[in-house]
Amino acid sequence: MSMNIFVQLLINSLIAGAIYSLVASGFSLIYATSKFIHFAHGATVAFSSYILYFFFSMVGLNFGFSVILSIIFAVLLGLAMNLFVFKQLRRKKTSSVILLIASFALMILLESLILLLFGADVKTIGYIKVQKGLEVFGGIITPLQIVIIVTSIVLLTALFVFMKKTKLGKAMRAVSDNKDVAEIIGISSEKIYSWAFVIGSAIAGIAGILISLEQNLTTTMGTGLMIKGFTGAIIGGIGSVPGAILGSFLLGLAENFGIWFLPSGYKDAIAFVLLFIFLLFRHQGILGIKKGGENE
Amino acid sequence: MIEAYIIHLLILIGIYVILAISLQLSLGFTGLLNLGHIAFFAIGAYTSALLTLNGVPFLIAFILAGIFAMASGFLLSLLTKKLKGDYLALATIAFTYVVYSVALNWTGLTRGPLGLPGISRPSIFGISFSSNLSFLILTLVILLISYLVIKKISTSPFGRVLEAIRDDELATKILGKNTFKMKSYALAISACFAGISGSLYAHYINYIDPSSFTLMQLIPILVIVIVGGLASLRGTIVATVVLILLPEALRFVGMPSSILGPMRQIIYAVILLLILLYRPKGFYGEVELE
Repeated sequence: MSMNIFVQLLINSLIAGAIYSLVASGFSLIYATSKFIHFAHGATVAFSSYILYFFFSMVGLNFGFSVILSIIFAVLLGLAMNLFVFKQLRRKKTSSVILLIASFALMILLESLILLLFGADVKTIGYIKVQKGLEVFGGIITPLQIVIIVTSIVLLTALFVFMKKTKLGKAMRAVSDNKDVAEIIGISSEKIYSWAFVIGSAIAGIAGILISLEQNLTTTMGTGLMIKGFTGAIIGGIGSVPGAILGSFLLGLAENFGIWFLPSGYKDAIAFVLLFIFLLFRHQGILGIKKGGENE
Repeated sequence: MIEAYIIHLLILIGIYVILAISLQLSLGFTGLLNLGHIAFFAIGAYTSALLTLNGVPFLIAFILAGIFAMASGFLLSLLTKKLKGDYLALATIAFTYVVYSVALNWTGLTRGPLGLPGISRPSIFGISFSSNLSFLILTLVILLISYLVIKKISTSPFGRVLEAIRDDELATKILGKNTFKMKSYALAISACFAGISGSLYAHYINYIDPSSFTLMQLIPILVIVIVGGLASLRGTIVATVVLILLPEALRFVGMPSSILGPMRQIIYAVILLLILLYRPKGFYGEVELE
């Protein structure tokens, strides 16, 4: 009995970790290059879910086409935020704190727009009918959940290979390491920032789609996911994409095994407490480099 | 009718001015990136509401609301002692959520999402402030005291050290000032005033629940502080009046209340973005956030 619960919690942790790591890796990619906390990244995820709801459930377009449109809209949203807000602020040499507050304002703006356009009631996509779960070592997992885990592993591996092997990925790492040196050797940092927003937002878009198939849509889902995303990123080491992935899976484990001991209402609080603990005692995270501390 | 409406708005403005000038003390004068101000407001509101619901007189509950918020501000400053900039912002955001989660989940104390109804209007030494007009007078008296205290602090030698910390912490340290202690005091005092404004809010609205204390609620005061200008108390008051009244105009064009809520947030978010882009010092401010 207890073994079955253990396996079930492990499966639930994996599903949560898969979703969080998609949010966290995009967020971390943007942080690594442009060096500010892009709070509104969570809104990109929520935006993609609602675009899917709009095209698939309201307009009645074909599912595959709606998915592609959702990803395109997520990318356009990310690019627009970078172009019209963050790029303008960077031109004035504003501090990362101002960029954080601007991103926070964008988050509130987008969430309120979603609320205005779609209303406060909970939405369901309903593309995949409730499926009978498969039994794995005594735990239950639905085919959709397997798709979520596999998609996330494939995407994260692709992102990892991209960062290590391609020219663009290497340029991104160069800007992340030292922007000035990267510019000297002819890499345009502004271009790299745009690419980080494109890739990060595309992953956020896919995350939004997967989440909307598994859960209901609510107007505040973006903030919740963002907290999970940056908690994952901070635990693993902010600015490090592998760190973000590691941290996200650890967060998934902590949350799901935490409710073995705590009332389930505290599930969300576990993330905030972990975030707090890591910020206080190891804000560079598990894999990160020491930054923003007293000695900087 | 119109008088009642104006009195209601003035009370709200009064409560927000206290909250905003208290945020000025930590964010504007000291340069601490405190995004957890709503948590102190919540702690004050819950402390005061729970105490009075259990028979404690308003005045004592009101003072304890300030003290509890102050203690939590001091505790937060101890915990985040090594953090700066972005990291401090994230930690204070996390603090907001921790307080919110406790309010939501500690149902034995706070009744969770059901909230606390029936919070009485204040009564001090037998004088009751149950009418809105008398409550407005009480709010204005507390506002005046808060303003004078914060003004006095900002122009005192202690206040000048705080501004020095904001402008150059290392240099201030070299001059022999214990900057950590100063920052702690600043955050604690700032939290104290947020706590008393939370108490006023709870006793004015007569009902509180966790949804009044989310990160969303930070937007109005953050906009007020940045639009008014960091470290400018006069700017803060002008900005509060303008920004609280501005979305009220929507009411007169007949906008239904389901649209009013999100529209108000949209207006605040757009104003915040525009001010950051085009006038980062705000209208009366002299310093920029770093």
